[in-house]
Amino acid sequence: EEQDVTATLTSEDLIEEVSIDGMG
Amino acid sequence: MILDEAWRLSPSVALRPEPFGALAYHFGNRKLTFLKTPALVRVVEQLADHADVRATLRAVGVPEAQHDAYAAALEGLADADMIRPRADAIEEAS
Repeated sequence: EEQDVTATLTSEDLIEEVSIDGMG
Repeated sequence: MILDEAWRLSPSVALRPEPFGALAYHFGNRKLTFLKTPALVRVVEQLADHADVRATLRAVGVPEAQHDAYAAALEGLADADMIRPRADAIEEAS
């Protein structure tokens, strides 16, 4: 009793923005 | 504070389910964002169905300890216009 895992969640674990400008 | 605000998915955004969660593509600004957990996908999809973000997180079953991280992620989505503020309020069933 996992509590440590829930406490360390960050926004980087949830979303990631991708640049598609380079996507010839 | 975004947790106490009403939001919805932008009408310009399409979600494509993926094994890790979903891809969110904005047809207006052409931004692409990975939603990296299935729970976040459910939160984004259900934002319009609840009075505020906090109610949505609870409905999806996100632990209270993770609410701040989800709020920060949603603020990132708001900056990219993936989600938009909602003017109307929905009464939560008690």
